[in-house]
Amino acid sequence: MASETIEVTGHIVDSLLLAKILDSILDAGCDYEITDVAIGKTSLDPSRARIDVTGDDEVLGRLVDELQVHGANRVALEDATLVPADRDGVLPAGFYSTTNLASGVRVDGTWLPVENAEMDCALVLRDGRARTVPMHRVRAGDKVVVGGEGVQVQAPSHARGTQMFEFMASEVSSEKPKSLLVARVAERLRAARERGGRVLVVAGPAVVHTGGAPDLARLVEAGWVDVLFAGNGFAAHDIESNVLGTSLGVSVEEGTPTEGGHANHLRVINEVRRHGSIAAAVDAGFVTGGVMRACVQRGVPFVLGGSIRDDGPLPDVITDTVAAADTMRAHLDGVHVALMLASTLHAIATGNCLPAGVETFCVDINQAVVTKLADRGSHQALGIVTDVGPFVRQLADHLVASA
Amino acid sequence: MSTAPLQWGRHFVMCPPRHFGVLYEINPWMSREVTVDPDRALAEWEGLVATLRAAGATVELMEPHPDVPDLVFTANAGVVNATIDPGEGTAGAGQFVPSNFRHPERQPETAVNAAWFAARGWRADRLPDELDHEGAGDALPFTPAGGRTVLLSGYSFRSDAGAATALSTMLGCPVRPLELVDPRLYHLDLTFCPLDGRRAMIAPLGWDAYGRKVVEALVPEPLVLTDDEALSFCANSVVVDRTIVMPATPPRVGRLLESWGFAVVECRVGEFLKAGGGCRCLTLALDTVLSEPPPAA
Repeated sequence: MASETIEVTGHIVDSLLLAKILDSILDAGCDYEITDVAIGKTSLDPSRARIDVTGDDEVLGRLVDELQVHGANRVALEDATLVPADRDGVLPAGFYSTTNLASGVRVDGTWLPVENAEMDCALVLRDGRARTVPMHRVRAGDKVVVGGEGVQVQAPSHARGTQMFEFMASEVSSEKPKSLLVARVAERLRAARERGGRVLVVAGPAVVHTGGAPDLARLVEAGWVDVLFAGNGFAAHDIESNVLGTSLGVSVEEGTPTEGGHANHLRVINEVRRHGSIAAAVDAGFVTGGVMRACVQRGVPFVLGGSIRDDGPLPDVITDTVAAADTMRAHLDGVHVALMLASTLHAIATGNCLPAGVETFCVDINQAVVTKLADRGSHQALGIVTDVGPFVRQLADHLVASA
Repeated sequence: MSTAPLQWGRHFVMCPPRHFGVLYEINPWMSREVTVDPDRALAEWEGLVATLRAAGATVELMEPHPDVPDLVFTANAGVVNATIDPGEGTAGAGQFVPSNFRHPERQPETAVNAAWFAARGWRADRLPDELDHEGAGDALPFTPAGGRTVLLSGYSFRSDAGAATALSTMLGCPVRPLELVDPRLYHLDLTFCPLDGRRAMIAPLGWDAYGRKVVEALVPEPLVLTDDEALSFCANSVVVDRTIVMPATPPRVGRLLESWGFAVVECRVGEFLKAGGGCRCLTLALDTVLSEPPPAA
């Protein structure tokens, strides 16, 4: 996909020239966004429209040439300003701070697509390719984009004719029929799979507390999860519930506290540490079921990010948060759908790394989590306010039963 | 319904066809294999001058020039924006925007035209060099009864769409670009002929769907020409008050015009049709007023 900016001035409304230009763009199979428009007050005042046109490279070039016949001219744009970083981990002053939207950088007159959209990063040019790079990963000498000139951000397309989020009339859907939403999420997962996209699940401990872990394990076993992000808590309670039948000391079957149960997860973490890793504990037969075991057995990669509240932690937990975030980033290639299941902090952390184009579903009993995710910039997230346990069960029933 | 006649079309400049001939081919009508009969051409042209004068128009003459045979088509000299004399209420020298011709063959005409107007006290305002525009051939005003004058400006074959924007700024007049889509009707004045404050002959054959809508919205009572009628060049007529001087008069068109109260005079200009020009192309009105005084505060 390429994009060009054109501008047309004059009596473009009364002469239907603007309508003709916009129709021509759509007829050519391209899309547009009017980024700036000034309509004249009287019939004598000229109007002006600036239009970003996106489309297939070859078609776009021809289209823009044709539009010149109607008086629409390419807007002369500047190249991006590149300043080398003078030391590792420090950006040049005035660095361009990225959004999570698809973007382009103009270098030597051509637009380079930004390869990995991520918010709050710098734009760095290496070997003729433009990438987002988090501050700490910048190396001295990296060419960093400074200022906004020569950077183009594609507004999220509320694409015509696609059914992507059509069922999302409001962002947070506490008052929607849940089974319908589950069915739609299942549809989106199937659609992503058909496109060859990967599915990311971010899971919080409440998945285990609410009895959803066996159903999530079913989804992993059936191949519906390509990568799992979680924290120490989720993995510990998942293993605890399988080894000792409790989650945070509460019987998963009975829902009743067990004697001395408050230390159950500590004992389980301790044993896994004795094995050296979750995979080793699975191989040794210590972990007999659950999500983590399913991941190990199916070879689904998981990233456990640590926090200062962690007990233990499990040996697989990456306690250096910067390293954890980098490991998460390394698993995002090809992710088309992200399912955030009852996890506030990991959902936001993941949301921060995801391109806006990733379909993101945030399932939580607490509406504030979804709102918070959007407030942190992940506007693409669709919130489903519901109890996560039944949600995962229904989702697994849809996908696994029909698989 | 009776409507006041056109406020312009009483004063023209024309150029005798002393050097006229089809020496090159820049529209589908031109063929160098066709010979122009110079005597007949002169006779036809003199007939047109006489007809216009008889209809009450003043005709001024421009000296022909051997290097530029198409100078005879004075409609393409430029866009005229006359000034109204506040005392007598008559149109006089004002602003003249000389054409930027697309074809190199016609580009030398610009200097000749500009000199003629400058010598008569007109202020020349030039379009930017990169924008082509072929004068009144591609720009005709329509003034709806009680409304503001709008200049329709054809583009694609000879003029650029962008010239409309520049013209609007220079002239202080709304200019609506219309795309011309039929190469046989390569100038706007082959597709559009304003008749008065309500009526115009229009040839939709020459325009795209958007242009048709723009004209339909502007002209309350159009005389819509069929494709055959349009290709007879009947829209390339000169309107002098209530007289319409036409290069061809398709019977249906003639009857309609007469029923609207116009006197129709057919003026054969067959030698010029060989070059793709009719009566209108041979004339340039010197009394079109496009700027309007700003409305009183």
